[in-house]
Amino acid sequence: MEELKICYLYPDVLNLFSDGGNITCIKKRLEWRGMKADVTNVSVGEKFNANDFDMFFIGGGQDFEQGMHLKDLMGEKADEIRKAVEDEKVFLAVCTGFELLGNYCKSTTGTQYDLVGAINMHTEIEKERFIGNYCFESEELGSLKIVGFENHAGRTYLGDGVKPLGKVLKGNGNNGKDFTEGARYKNVFGTYAHGALLPKNPVLADAIISAALERKYGRKIELSPLDDTFEMTANEYMISRLGCE
Amino acid sequence: MKLRAVIAIIACKLTKFILRVMKRGGTNLPGKIAVKICPSVLGVMARGVTTIIITGTNGKTTTSRMVEQCLEEAGFSYFANRSGANLLTGITNEFAMNSTIFGKCRKKYAVIECDEAAFRHVSRYVDAKHIIVTNVFRDQVDRFVELELTMGGIRAGIENSPNATVCINADCSLTTSLVKNVKNRVIYYGVDCPIYEELVSEVSDAQYCINCKTEYNYDYKTYGHLGSYSCPNCGYRRPDTEVYVTEVVSSDLDSTTVKIKMSEDEKILRINLPGGYNVYNAISAAAVAKGMGIDENKIITALSSFECGFGRMENFDIGGKNVRMILIKNPAGCNQVLNFLTNTVKEKCLFVTIVNDRISDGTDISWLWDANFEKLEELGDRLPMIYVGGLRADDMANRLKYAGRSLDRIKVIKDDDMLLKEIDKAEVDVFIMPTYSAMLSFREKISKRYNLKSYWEN
Repeated sequence: MEELKICYLYPDVLNLFSDGGNITCIKKRLEWRGMKADVTNVSVGEKFNANDFDMFFIGGGQDFEQGMHLKDLMGEKADEIRKAVEDEKVFLAVCTGFELLGNYCKSTTGTQYDLVGAINMHTEIEKERFIGNYCFESEELGSLKIVGFENHAGRTYLGDGVKPLGKVLKGNGNNGKDFTEGARYKNVFGTYAHGALLPKNPVLADAIISAALERKYGRKIELSPLDDTFEMTANEYMISRLGCE
Repeated sequence: MKLRAVIAIIACKLTKFILRVMKRGGTNLPGKIAVKICPSVLGVMARGVTTIIITGTNGKTTTSRMVEQCLEEAGFSYFANRSGANLLTGITNEFAMNSTIFGKCRKKYAVIECDEAAFRHVSRYVDAKHIIVTNVFRDQVDRFVELELTMGGIRAGIENSPNATVCINADCSLTTSLVKNVKNRVIYYGVDCPIYEELVSEVSDAQYCINCKTEYNYDYKTYGHLGSYSCPNCGYRRPDTEVYVTEVVSSDLDSTTVKIKMSEDEKILRINLPGGYNVYNAISAAAVAKGMGIDENKIITALSSFECGFGRMENFDIGGKNVRMILIKNPAGCNQVLNFLTNTVKEKCLFVTIVNDRISDGTDISWLWDANFEKLEELGDRLPMIYVGGLRADDMANRLKYAGRSLDRIKVIKDDDMLLKEIDKAEVDVFIMPTYSAMLSFREKISKRYNLKSYWEN
């Protein structure tokens, strides 16, 4: 039986936007197909070895707690994360978790914080937050329309060698200027989308699962189709409400 | 200045009158007009009124009703903003309705439920004598963005109220931090024992010490992050309580019986509402009533004869069956409801959840994924069906699916009228769990159809 070992980073700190729903989603979609997910929580003060896992998840959190986990993050954890990314392990990183993978973040007062540097990008914090439902389109997944809820003060700018996850159709995405949303680099899927994201974007969920299975077992593993009626009606409802049909 | 205030009050009363004639329950517009004409009109009207402000994330409305009941029992003359209009405009409107056109209030006391974010503004005009902070939880993420901001708002409100006795939930580490540096008299209330045998697993909004970010130790938790916490590093801990529950004696679908201590004597209190969160609401009301010098026996009588607040576990009798309506608005509150229901439902029943994402509900519904709907599946055949309605019915149905519910046990009914028809047909007791705006509209539908009283008439 195929199994994915998932490392959930900072589930008790980066937990503001209920992104844990993505883990629930991946777990269920594997189980419904007779496969398994084994989720390990790794938080402040705990170590992990990148080789032990097939997939990593990091969610969004609030600024209040950021001071704490930055110190924790920027030692061995950052090294392991960079190693895992280069080793083509699958990452789903949302909002704060997404920003953390970049080179640095600049605060509104101009202070610069070094970040993990797993992806060539950086974030600048601005006063005004981008808040609301939004929609973007992934070329890689056959013009797939993805919906989610963004809520961020960070403006992220992608550097060389990094592609966006999608093109913004409605809303702001990475920075509200260049229509990019999220990032794709090796097997990293970075995004600002909450919702939770995957349950209402089942095609993306399966793409991420497929990438992880392929990386682990060294071959393509066919995912049997599921009844995605609820998933797709939730998805299509928001696409049409945003006028993105 | 004074003339402007008079004009504002007259305009407010007039608008309210017109809305009433048109049978519209608009609770915000008259206040809006008044504030537009004279921003400080509230200050004029609140002068000389002993005001009790109830703020915090969860439990404001029920607590306010309980405080009212205590005042009623004590024979005080008071008014309250009962319809849940708890922003500056709604509160201004309520004061205007109870004032002469010259801004003299006809009542001695005001029981004011106040939105956390509005508190700092309201407190600039109202010199509260008593404040209750119920708790601080994550709520409507898109409105406050961060707990820090919510807390900053409440802190500012307390700082604007130097003459107030502040009743603080000792079990909430976020709430207790609000009064760290204030000179006010503080009454800590809390529950000195666990409430539930078994807790739903849920995300904690305050796992790490607010001062030094070390993980808290807990002697026990009551729910969420509430309980007896202490920081092993800096020593920050739950303060000693002055009004507290020593034991939960029994609980069922209609009530909870506890032992409560407000002075030397321990007393038995039957809280006429179910659920652990209502234990907190009752104890906070008791704390403020004690602070006001109300006789303990009167407090006990008031809280045990209390009847339900608007949408908070409201009870309707429809077609020979019991229909209960319980507001859900954030993961902490929702988990409380799920906790309560799975611990207490004994017979077969029907659940209905109605999820909207209007501004008053919070436009981000992602919190549904933090609420432990998995817990519902423990009810097994006692819960054969869940109906799902509202603007975001599809998302809710999807959430239930991922919580382990089989698809044939979920029915999406987006149209409110159809939904009510289906509820009407049900032969078992019904629990409706709506978000805020869904509660307002659905309650009105129920009132119309079954000829119940509209909320703005009470």
